[in-house]
Formats: sequence, structure tokens, C-alpha cells
Amino acid sequence: MFARGVELLIDGLARGMILSLLGLGITLVFGLGGILNLMLGVFAVIAVIVCSLLLGVVPGLLVAGLGGVVAVALFAFALDRSVLSLVYREEGEDRVLLGIFVTLGLSLLFEGLLFVYLAGSYFLESGVPSVSVGGAGITGSSMAVIVSAGVLFGLIYYFFNHTYLGVATRTVIQDETGAILCGIRPRRVQSIVFVLSAAIAAAGGILYALDAEVTPASAFELTTFAIMVSIVGGVDSIRGTVAAGIVLGIVITVAGALFGSYLSTVTLFAVAIAVLIYKPEQIS
Amino acid sequence: MNRTGADALTRDRLTTAVVFAALLAVPFLFFDPATTYISRRFIRVMIFAIFAMALNIVFGETDQLILFMGGIAAVGAYTTALTAQYLGISPWITLLLGAFVAGVFGSIVCYVAARRQFTVIVLAIVTFAFQMIISEVLVGLRDITRGSTGFPFNGLQLPAVEQVTGLGSYAIQFYVLLAIFAAVLGVYTWLNRSKYGLAFDAIRQDEFAARATGVDVVRLKVFAGFISTFIIGLVGPFYGQTTGIIIPSLFSFNSVDVLVLIILVLGGLRSRYGPLVGAAVIIYIDNLLGNFGQWRTVAFGLLLTVLFLYFRDGIVPSIASLYDDKDPLARIRSVLGHGKSE
Repeated sequence: MFARGVELLIDGLARGMILSLLGLGITLVFGLGGILNLMLGVFAVIAVIVCSLLLGVVPGLLVAGLGGVVAVALFAFALDRSVLSLVYREEGEDRVLLGIFVTLGLSLLFEGLLFVYLAGSYFLESGVPSVSVGGAGITGSSMAVIVSAGVLFGLIYYFFNHTYLGVATRTVIQDETGAILCGIRPRRVQSIVFVLSAAIAAAGGILYALDAEVTPASAFELTTFAIMVSIVGGVDSIRGTVAAGIVLGIVITVAGALFGSYLSTVTLFAVAIAVLIYKPEQIS
Repeated sequence: MNRTGADALTRDRLTTAVVFAALLAVPFLFFDPATTYISRRFIRVMIFAIFAMALNIVFGETDQLILFMGGIAAVGAYTTALTAQYLGISPWITLLLGAFVAGVFGSIVCYVAARRQFTVIVLAIVTFAFQMIISEVLVGLRDITRGSTGFPFNGLQLPAVEQVTGLGSYAIQFYVLLAIFAAVLGVYTWLNRSKYGLAFDAIRQDEFAARATGVDVVRLKVFAGFISTFIIGLVGPFYGQTTGIIIPSLFSFNSVDVLVLIILVLGGLRSRYGPLVGAAVIIYIDNLLGNFGQWRTVAFGLLLTVLFLYFRDGIVPSIASLYDDKDPLARIRSVLGHGKSE
């Protein structure tokens, strides 16, 4: 019983850290520029596909994964310079609405293209053997996820607290006008952060594929999960999103084991709705 | 918008007469018992036109963006069909019950949203989350809903009327939907020309100013929300009947909400016939692309993106203002150049 509990907790933590990464992809872009990026899941799926295609060419999952992240970052940069610039021209609520519809359209567009050209399911083998600690079986993929996500969180923390660009980003999140007065160019920060958020989502996608099969259809599911996590975490709080991801990951894993997987998904959405009803003013 | 003026009124009446004459003639011109897919295509146009009109009321008039139209249609369809089966009566009797349940559910959501002063994006996300929950529950409550395999449904037919009039069952279905379309159009026109239209305009432009002048914003938003979700819940069972089987995937976000949004924006937000024109165009394209599998998703994604970036005015309002304008060419240039004329 205790061993089973530990297993669930570790699996939940791994799942939660992936959710945190995906949630950060939403939080950074929405907090910064008011764009709810509905194509985030597409970034994650593209990274997985590129990674699994690269695996035949380059040595090791780490290099292939890095390749996937870089490919997605370049793709995100191209999108930011072209389509998103049109969205950023608008202001306030107009930008929010336009952002939703344009990223929804792009999401369908690229999801469709993935279905046409790269359909199939992708699964990445972590190569880490499972171990048994005190009777609890811990899967290799969970350990790989926890370690890699931990390193990524460290990097993200360092970026936002100890680099000029990271601090500038937090400034723009707090107050766009104030940031301009301090000599920060919001549009440039927005571009960099959009690329960064896509790279984080790409890493999240690759870690997700260590434990589950990914198909082009996963893009939509990953996007919705990311949005829910971001909302529960407070939408413009980086720390809140990380915490929300981990808590929700553990909650839905335990709920899934106790009540079945469909109720665990319902729980996730219900929590998000409850948070929004309780604190609707956090998104404006 | 031309709400007054004898000219505009005459033009409105003329348009209404022409549109309804054309719609009434559709079954005689195009319905052929041998090839039912054409009849079904027209029925789909009517269903999606009504969905888009419902969204036009709640989103176009009161700025409440709801993204659970598929879920609401499912609530209507499942309530109607399952209650009728359980009680062993005709779904015609339970049709209003389904619509009412959908409307009450929708108005509770709108009430909470208005009371808690949700911004448009918060309501969009909350309703989207409900859409996901409804989809999950429909699949998960297998004992009641029969899960992802669904159940056959075609109880909304009128065999007696078919016999008396000699029309086919598809023609009868089309006319029933045309009657609902006419009723919804009537409600929309009445709303727009009454004091509600003025209040809606006030809410849309500045909610706090509207409140200050004595407009009961919460009541009006709930009212608009109820009408819209009632309509969607009413048409839901007919939508289920188009495929002859009620399954959860029929009511997914991608199958309903995405199409309705494209239809409304393409046809023209806050226009009377925009939804019908948009539905006709989109369902036509949908059928053209039906044979190309996932290219359909690609095309709709592209269409959604381009529409929102460059053509937010919509077909019907653009044509109307071309007609009104002294210098149509400049007008075309300005529409294409800025995407938004306001």
C-alpha cells in the first residue's frame, strides 16, 4: 500500500513537471503579451517528431532532443516575425481575441499538415532502467523526466533571476509602459520570450513522449492541459504555474488510479473552472 | 447600422422576401430521393446557420464568447433522445425539454460570468473547459450515454405530414429547420429593434457606462445567454439526426465550435443574414474538401487565420456597405487593407 503510494507520487511528480513546462509555455506568452497561444501543443508534437526522426541519424536521445527543441525554436521565430507581428499590432482586448483565433487557426493548419505528412504515433525510449526502492517500482522514464525537468527548471530560474533579458521579461509582464520607460523594447522581449516558450513546450513534449505515445492529435490535448495548468497557477505567475503543474500532476495521477482516467481529466478541467470563478480578475 | 429610415426598411423587407422564397423553393429544386446526400447538405447548412445565429446573439450582441456550442448541442440532443427513449415517447415531446435544460445550463454559466465580471477571455476559457468536461462525461458515463459508440437516433420525423403533403422526409426536416430559422431570425430582429438592442449596444461599447445609466447588465447577459443556448439545444437533436447516430465526437469542439466561429465571422458578425451566407459557403467548402481527409483541417485553419487577420467585417456587412457607398472601389481597398473598418 505504502509502496503503491510512493509509485503514484513519483509518477505524478514526473507528470506534473511535464505539465509545468507546458503551462509555462502558455504563462510566459500570455503574461507578457496577452496572447493565449493555442498552438503550443503543436510545438510539443513537432519537437517529438523531429526528435524521433533525428534518432536514426544522430547519436543519443539527448542530441536528438536538442535538435527537436532547436527546430521548434526556429519555427516559432519565423511565426513570431510573420503572423504574430500582425496580432501584436492590436491592443488590449482586441489583441486577446485576435490572438485566440489566429493561434487556433494556426494550430488547426499545422495539425492538419502533420496529419497529412507525418501521421503515426511516436514514442521515445529513455533507455533508463527501472529500479525498485523499498518495494516501490520506479520506472526509468519517470526518473529521466524528473531529472531533466529539474535541470530545465534550474535553467529557467537562472534566466529569470540572473540575466538581464530575464529580468527585463519580468518587467514587461508587470508593466509594459513602465518597461518602455526603463528602455526595454517590449516587442523584442515578446519575440524572444515567444521563442523561449516554444522551446520549453518542445522540451515538455519530448519528456511527455518518454511515457506516452504522441500523435498529431495529441497537440490539441497538450494545449488544453497547458492552458488549464497556467490558469490554476495564476496565468502570469511563473512560480505559480510550476507549482500548479506539479500539484495537478499528482492530483490527476492519484485520481486516475482511484477513479479511472476519465474522471481524472474531468478533475483537471473542474479545478480550472473553480479557480476562474474564484479569481476571474487574474486574467484581464 | 441602418436601424431607421424607410429606404433601409424596404430593402430589409425585400431581402427577407427573396431569401425566404429561395429557401422555400430549395427542396423542390434540389431534393432528389435517389441522392440523399444533397438533401443532407442543405439540412446541414440550415443547422449551422441557426447555430451561428445563436452565437451571433450571445457573442455578437453582448460580447460573451462561448466556446461550448458543441457541448450545449450535445446536452440538448442527449437530453431529448435519452428522455424520449426512457419514457418511451416521441422525441418531439422531449425536444423542448432538451432545449430548456441546455438553456438553463447556459444561463447559469452566463449568470456566474456576469456576476463575477468575467472578461471575454475568461468566459471563453471557462466554456471551453465545460466543452471538454461534457465530451469526457459523454464518453465516460457509458451506462447512460452508451459511450463513444453512441446510439441510433432518427425519431424527429413527421410521417403523417409526409403522407398528407407527399413530400419526402428530408424535405419535411428542411422545412422544420426553416421554421426554426425564421423564428430565430424573428427573435433576433425583434431584439435588435426593441429597447434590448439599444441596451446590447450600450453593454458592448462600455459595460460600466451602461450600468451607470441603469441598464441591468447581468440580467441582459443572462437573457442573451439563455436565448442562445436554448436555440443551440433545440437544434442539437436535429444535428444528431443528420448522421442518424448520436455520438460524442459529433459534438466536439472541432466539429461544431470551430465551424460556427468561421461561419459567423465569414458571414458577418451582427448581421441578419450573415450566418446563413456563411453557413452556405462553409458547408459547401466542407463538402468539397470532404474527400481530401486532413486537408480539410488545414484549409479551415488557414481560413480561420486569414479571416481574423484580414476580413473581420464579413461578407454580408461588406456587401451592404458597398451598396451604400458612393465610392465602392475605395471601400474595397480599405476593407482589404485594414481588415476592420470601424
